[in-house]
Amino acid sequence: MRTLRAAALLTHKDLVSLRRAPLVVILLACYPLLIAGLVGLVAGYANARPRVAVVDLDHIPHTTKIAGHKYHIKNAIDDVAKNVRISWMSKADAEQALRTGSVVGVITIPQGFLADLKSVVHSPTLEFETAQSGIASRVTQQMQALVYNLNLKLQESFIKDAIHYISLIQHGGKTSFLGSSYDVLGIQKARALLLVEKGNPRAAEVARFLDTAEGALTASQASARAVAQPIKLAIETRNGRSWLFSAQMQAYALALTISILALALAAAVTASERDENVACLLGRGLVSKLSLLGAKVALATIVSLMVGVGILLAFGAIVDIGGITGGQPWGRVPLVLVGVLLFGAALGAIGTLIGALAREGRSATLGALLVALPIALLGLVPREIVPPAGVISDFFPFSHGERFFGSALYDLHPWATVAPEALWLLGLLVFWGAVARFALPRLTEG
Amino acid sequence: MAEILLSARSVSRRYGRLAALAPIDLELHSGESVALVGPNGAGKSTLLSLLAGSLRASEGGISITGAAKVGWLPQRPSHYGRLTARENLVLFARLENVGDPVRRAAELLERFSLPGDRPSAHLSVGNRQRLSLAIALLGDPNVLLLDEPTASLDPKQRALLWQEAERHVVEGGAVLFSSQNPEEVERHATRVIALDSGELVFSGGPDEYAVWEREP
Repeated sequence: MRTLRAAALLTHKDLVSLRRAPLVVILLACYPLLIAGLVGLVAGYANARPRVAVVDLDHIPHTTKIAGHKYHIKNAIDDVAKNVRISWMSKADAEQALRTGSVVGVITIPQGFLADLKSVVHSPTLEFETAQSGIASRVTQQMQALVYNLNLKLQESFIKDAIHYISLIQHGGKTSFLGSSYDVLGIQKARALLLVEKGNPRAAEVARFLDTAEGALTASQASARAVAQPIKLAIETRNGRSWLFSAQMQAYALALTISILALALAAAVTASERDENVACLLGRGLVSKLSLLGAKVALATIVSLMVGVGILLAFGAIVDIGGITGGQPWGRVPLVLVGVLLFGAALGAIGTLIGALAREGRSATLGALLVALPIALLGLVPREIVPPAGVISDFFPFSHGERFFGSALYDLHPWATVAPEALWLLGLLVFWGAVARFALPRLTEG
Repeated sequence: MAEILLSARSVSRRYGRLAALAPIDLELHSGESVALVGPNGAGKSTLLSLLAGSLRASEGGISITGAAKVGWLPQRPSHYGRLTARENLVLFARLENVGDPVRRAAELLERFSLPGDRPSAHLSVGNRQRLSLAIALLGDPNVLLLDEPTASLDPKQRALLWQEAERHVVEGGAVLFSSQNPEEVERHATRVIALDSGELVFSGGPDEYAVWEREP
């Protein structure tokens, strides 16, 4: 009871002191939000369109005729490369660009590519080289999509050409081959000619064959159309949330802002006990180490809750006023705030540890920032790409908080994620709280 | 024989291999004013911090008689700069479980002529030192430990501080103060303890100390 009372008195003192430093409060609230916004934008848009070099060893002409259709191959490549930025380069320049990292991959059009394409005997090959990087697999997928789109364009032309020939055999007409023009009779006209030979059994046999052939060709036409696009993907753009207001961005903003704020605040107010030479007075039995730790954790938690409510209200208001699809899930706000409470408390314990170890307030704040940013950035690295980052990140609250907030806000059934993450945060609070408790004598006896 | 209020038995403090204070025995009796003297780094502040309970002893123990209480004025002012003098006093009174914190704070503000409603960071150096002394006196202690209490005070402020210390001794308390000022030691001490490099080198009356000090 005495421990709780002392902790409450110190927390109240810290809140009063904070209220009397409005500039610090504004800075504490705005700086993390600014960092959250910037990191969010970088995380969302960085490498959205990586640069890829294209080397043309076949000296493809500006226009070329394939399957009776004129093509602008280079324009076609530029057109279908929607997710990458294409740069046409010489082989040497491309190799250098790949080495220096100014491009993430090189597509080479080898010699004989166009001849193979026109022959329709061999499938021509595009060569793709990529550097070993975190986004290599993503770029490879984009290149596969590019080749798929090119194939689709060419396939349509080849099939149109085939359908034209089938139609010519069915209905007859004029065509040209190797520069000479020909008249094709066609099945329908041939059948009309055979009518003259009525009663001739051989003519009747040819007429039956023509019927069968026409049926087969009609079916072939339909099959050729179907083969051109066995499955079609209908793409429709709806008036959904932009990335800036997405669940992920909202979770990042909450997690990053509270991380910096709670760590810096707890570290600074803990170290300020030494700066004001009060730690030695408190340490002589006025306040237990547990009360001191509890007070700093409580302060970090209260301020985290206030900022958390602010961020949720701000996002919600923008989403509601802007009429953005999906709306703010207001009903989930209490669950998110439970996460903010655990998250702020765990960070408060780490901040108290930093404050106890630092020599004075400024070093404590700097130390907190130096710790907060790597923890946050580590939490943003996808576990699937760099597994050790995920393991290290597990020992800090950021990634757990971010997953808790995202799931609590937008998952249909959040408990499967929220419950284990809440346990993690509770465990981290106990662990870091115990470490901070053992470091506090350094503050009071320092 | 005056009552022993506080006693230290073989109390020492080490920082790793460095001995900040060699084992020392000490008793403080009611009605006495003891001066703790010695050069910088002699161990005066370490001994006062140990007696105040702010620092843990590496060896030995400190015992406080019966219901005796200890008040401590550290060398640097100790209070929260963003709180007013009144808020500081009320907060520390509550932490010390003083019966009526608000009334006790008002009493001390008046006794020390302190402006109650100004942030204590804006107070003069003398007023800040007096606020720290008021905080030390909040729990109505029997033993008062003062670490170089007049180092940053002007003559008038010094006189006021010694007035408070003498009043405390007259009322049956004990004062242990560290000082670098021989005149203060001569005027205000009933006993002198001298430390050098963490070791007790002299203990006796002020007259004996004056003789001891003059010896080569």
